[in-house]
Amino acid sequence: MSAASKIHKATWCAFRNLEQYRTKAKFSSSAIGTRNELFNQEQRRQQDAVGRIEKIEIRYLGLPEDVTLLMNKHISTPYNCAQHLSEGHCKRSALALIDGTIPWDMHRPLQESCTLQLLPFNVSEPHVVNKAFWRTCSFLLGAALHKSFKSEANLQLHSFPGPNIKSGSFVHDIVLSSQRWQPSKSELRAISAEMVKMSAQDILIERLDVQQELAYEMFKDSRYKSEQLPSIGKQNQGRVTLYRVGEHIDISRGPMVASTRFLGKCTIGVSHKLANEGSSGAFYRIQGIALPSGYMLNHFAFGLLEQRAQKLNSARLPHEPFEEPQQMQIS
Amino acid sequence: MLRTVIGDLARLRLSSSSSSNSCVLVTQVREKGHLSRPRLRNPHWFLRKERSQTDDYVTAENRNFVKEVVHETYGSPALIKGVQTYEQKLIRTPIEKPSVDAEPWTPKVRRCGVIARKIGQYPLWLKNGERVRTTLLQIVDNHVIKYTPPEEYQPSHRPSVHNLHKYGCLLVGAESTNPALLTKEYCGIFRDSGVMPKKNVARFIVSPQAALAPGTPLNVGHFRVGEFVDVRGKTVDHGFQGVVKRHGFKGMPASHGVTKTHRRAGNIGGGGEKGRVWPGTKMPGHMGNRWRISKGLRIWRINTKYNVMWVQGSAVPGSTNGLIYIYDTILPLRKPKEAPPFPTLYEDDAAALPEDIWYDQVHDFKDETITYKPE
Repeated sequence: MSAASKIHKATWCAFRNLEQYRTKAKFSSSAIGTRNELFNQEQRRQQDAVGRIEKIEIRYLGLPEDVTLLMNKHISTPYNCAQHLSEGHCKRSALALIDGTIPWDMHRPLQESCTLQLLPFNVSEPHVVNKAFWRTCSFLLGAALHKSFKSEANLQLHSFPGPNIKSGSFVHDIVLSSQRWQPSKSELRAISAEMVKMSAQDILIERLDVQQELAYEMFKDSRYKSEQLPSIGKQNQGRVTLYRVGEHIDISRGPMVASTRFLGKCTIGVSHKLANEGSSGAFYRIQGIALPSGYMLNHFAFGLLEQRAQKLNSARLPHEPFEEPQQMQIS
Repeated sequence: MLRTVIGDLARLRLSSSSSSNSCVLVTQVREKGHLSRPRLRNPHWFLRKERSQTDDYVTAENRNFVKEVVHETYGSPALIKGVQTYEQKLIRTPIEKPSVDAEPWTPKVRRCGVIARKIGQYPLWLKNGERVRTTLLQIVDNHVIKYTPPEEYQPSHRPSVHNLHKYGCLLVGAESTNPALLTKEYCGIFRDSGVMPKKNVARFIVSPQAALAPGTPLNVGHFRVGEFVDVRGKTVDHGFQGVVKRHGFKGMPASHGVTKTHRRAGNIGGGGEKGRVWPGTKMPGHMGNRWRISKGLRIWRINTKYNVMWVQGSAVPGSTNGLIYIYDTILPLRKPKEAPPFPTLYEDDAAALPEDIWYDQVHDFKDETITYKPE
């Protein structure tokens, strides 16, 4: 694929996203609309800023054979490399591994010559993919909660802690303007259904590295995100990593899996009230359990996993002050 | 068509004003039993029972862990009354017998039945030396799942029972299984009662007085020796069979000039104005694999240790290890005159029963051999 057609494809993709968001912006709040607009602008700006296209050599290691691919610097993604291999590689690869050590999003442009491994879920050492999957589940839970709550609830997404699969659940911390919220079974099922709907739509998970000032601009309506941004920027040389799925944008260190397609069986099990916030609000921790798509498990065993996910996750609590600088790193 | 015949007979029974001593013939009317083109529409409550086995990516230690949890929840696997099953830990044991017989037994009351397996045949001898063929039926791990009272019971597949609105429905399950092999919806049937999910489930139409609590075990002591039972089973599948085997036609001679016609039906109709083959004409076709009821079989012997009963004859439908449903007989002359264990036999009364119970007329193998005095 020539460089010119590649740029054309990239901008065309951005246009398509813009169109999609335009139709949705009629229904979502203006704050979300502005955030998406800024995201799209920055995305386009970064694509245009590539300038002269340089070539890089990507050494792909894996099945069916090790090959060297000649790709475009700052434009080609591991997904594009998979497209050179086969459709199966595109559909099954959830994450990429650069130089055998650095996990890399599938749709993130490659920056220099390196070795590349494409990781599906059934790889022999799945720790990296599993963590990315768990992180993605927390991220998608935020998107699902955003869709589920009415505006009267004044839902504020706080953050989600680093993935810990051994804890038995993935987690998202929120703030609601009610101190006595207790979800019923059907409400929890509705939130799970939102996640399953997102999985069925096969939505791309996009990543964007932005300057701290732009991040402030995007999250100026969210009190808790604005509070977290200084510490995040300080650790990351003044840059903040954002992820977008559909029209939901959140801050995360990453990496995430390539698309919502990889989410299989999912249950949002419980909500724990952590602490009161102010006079009328409170912190809640929403917990859930999920399996990657294609993994079948009988209902009895999955029931055991659901029971385990009911216990309060011991990850760091959002309302407590951070004790160590490492803990300030949001996942 | 079966219904109208029974309807006629019921009307006949009612019109004859006398009690059940009136002589009523209850014959079997064997029709095809199904529509020519299967028009299967599953009822709204239909649940898929078994799930496809695809736990390929579960590690061996996780598989063992799930098995351990199943054993901890329901009880470890055990051989109970000769059947490989699990100790039922979730049922509140012992199931208490109702302290006062609020509604005592009457001859009109319908009791619960049991689910059994046909395990073989054996001869028994009576004390006068007569040999009797018997079939062995083993009651396999039966527990009551739930009871639906008559007001709530509106089945879409109505059983052919007269005055169904007076009766409730007892759901009974047989043979406990690992719930991991079944679907979640099917296991939901057993959730409230605490009974371990069962492989086979059946309904029994009962009077409200004969209702049983969920979790009640049903054993062979529910029946008594000398009484009569109706036994329902699926007949052996003989496949496509000719007219001689299927309908008992005599066929034609093997020799003496008979050409190409030895086991054929011969003539299939007459002439005249209605000169056509009548519907229902007996012809070759599929034989067997039908649900049939053998009525009025006497119980000659009971073994309480292995939950086995010996019933009269070899007319129990089906092959060995086939499922059998056992009911109290509907034949009017063979109904019991005294109260059977009602509503069923509970633990404390069952403990008083000996292991082997023989009918009076039957020769106990442990006794001395039958001798005839020389004339």
